[in-house]
Amino acid sequence: MTYDEKLQAFNDHIAAGGKVEAEDWMPDDYRKGVLKFIEMHANSEIMGALPEREVLPSAPTLKRKMSLCAKIQDEVGHAQLLYRVAEDLGKPRDAMVSDLVNGRSKFHNVFHYPVRHWGDAALIGWLIDGAALVTQASLRDSSYAPYTRVLKRICAEEQLHLRHGEDITLELASGSEHQRWMFQDALDRWWLAIIHFFGPRSNPEKDLLLRWKVKTETNENLRQEFLDRYVPKILELGFTIPAPVPYLDEASGHWLINDEDIDWEPLEGIKRNDGPETARRLAQRKAMYDDHRWVRDAMTEPVGV
Amino acid sequence: MEVYEVFRRAGHKDPYEHCGAVTAPDPEMALMMAKECFLRRGEGEHLWVARRSDIHAFSGDPAIDIVADKSYRHPSGYRDVVAKRERAIARARELEAS
Repeated sequence: MTYDEKLQAFNDHIAAGGKVEAEDWMPDDYRKGVLKFIEMHANSEIMGALPEREVLPSAPTLKRKMSLCAKIQDEVGHAQLLYRVAEDLGKPRDAMVSDLVNGRSKFHNVFHYPVRHWGDAALIGWLIDGAALVTQASLRDSSYAPYTRVLKRICAEEQLHLRHGEDITLELASGSEHQRWMFQDALDRWWLAIIHFFGPRSNPEKDLLLRWKVKTETNENLRQEFLDRYVPKILELGFTIPAPVPYLDEASGHWLINDEDIDWEPLEGIKRNDGPETARRLAQRKAMYDDHRWVRDAMTEPVGV
Repeated sequence: MEVYEVFRRAGHKDPYEHCGAVTAPDPEMALMMAKECFLRRGEGEHLWVARRSDIHAFSGDPAIDIVADKSYRHPSGYRDVVAKRERAIARARELEAS
C-alpha cells in the first residue's frame, strides 16, 4: 500500500468509529498529536499534586490530612499510568520528565496558580476535579484505545476525588462565617482559571485531534456541560460567582457565559510557562527529580559492580 | 528498564485479567510497582507481571480469518426448537395413525 492508501484506510477506520492500538499503523501527525496530548495530561497529574501538597499542612483534622494524602497519591498514580501509555508512542520517560522540568512541555493552566488556605483544597477537589472529570469522561470514547483503558481507572478514582472535594466544600458551607468565607475566597480567585481550563472555542476545521476523534467534544461543549452541572450547585449553597458571571438562559435552560465576558489575557503567560507559580513549581519538581536520582540508579545498576 | 504487562485476579473464582503495564528494571520491582498502581484499593487479591517481550500475539486481527459459517458453534445455530418439536410430534402421530 502507498502512504496515501494507508492514510485513506486509517481515516476511513476512524470515521467508522474504529479504534487505534499502539502497534497499529498511524500517520505521524496522529502519533505526535496523541503523544503530546497524553504527555500533557500526565504532566498535569504530576504537577497537580504540588498545589495540593502545599495545602496539606492546613488540613483541619488528621482524617482530612490522610484523605488528601491518599488523593495526592492517586494523582501521582495517574501520571504513572499515563506516562506508561505515552512511552509506547515512542518518547522515553526520561525525555518527558526532562522536557517538563525544563519548561519545554505543558501542563494544565490551573496548576500554575498559588494556593492560600484550606478553602483551596475544597475548591480544587470539587470544582477543578469536577472540570477535569467532565473532560476525561468525554475522552473515554477517544479513538486511541490504550488511552481509554487507563482513563477507565482514572475516571473511577476522579469520581471519588469529586466526592472528597464536595464533602470538604459542604463542611465549609455549613460552618462558621469564616469557613464560608474560605470557600468564597477560593472561588473568587479560581473561577476565571476554571473557565480557561476548557480552552478557547475549538476550531474543528483545524483541530486534528478532533478530526481524528482523539478528542470527542469541543472545548465549548465541555465548558457548557461543566456550567450546567456545577453553577446551580454553587448558587444553592449561597456562594457568589465572580466574573465571568454565568446567567440562566430561560429558553434553552442552559447556564451561559458570553464569549466577550471571558478575559483570556491571564492565560497568555501560562501558555509560555510563565504563570504566577510556574517557575517555582517546576524548580521544585526538578529538585525532587535530581534528589531522587540515587533511587533510580540503585534500581537500574547492580550494587558493587 | 523493561515494560511489564500486569494481570490481576479479582477473586479465586475469576480469571487473571490484563489491567495495565509498568516500566521496571526487574520482575521484583515490577511487582512492587504494579501493586502500588493497581491494588491500592484492594481491587484484587493477586497479581502477575510478565515481560512484554515474552508475550506472543497475532500480528493482525485473528478473528478476520474465521470467514466460514461457524454458526454450529453457537446456541444461535440451533433455533426454532418449538417448530421443530411440533414437526416431530406431528410425524410421530402420523406414523401412529398409519
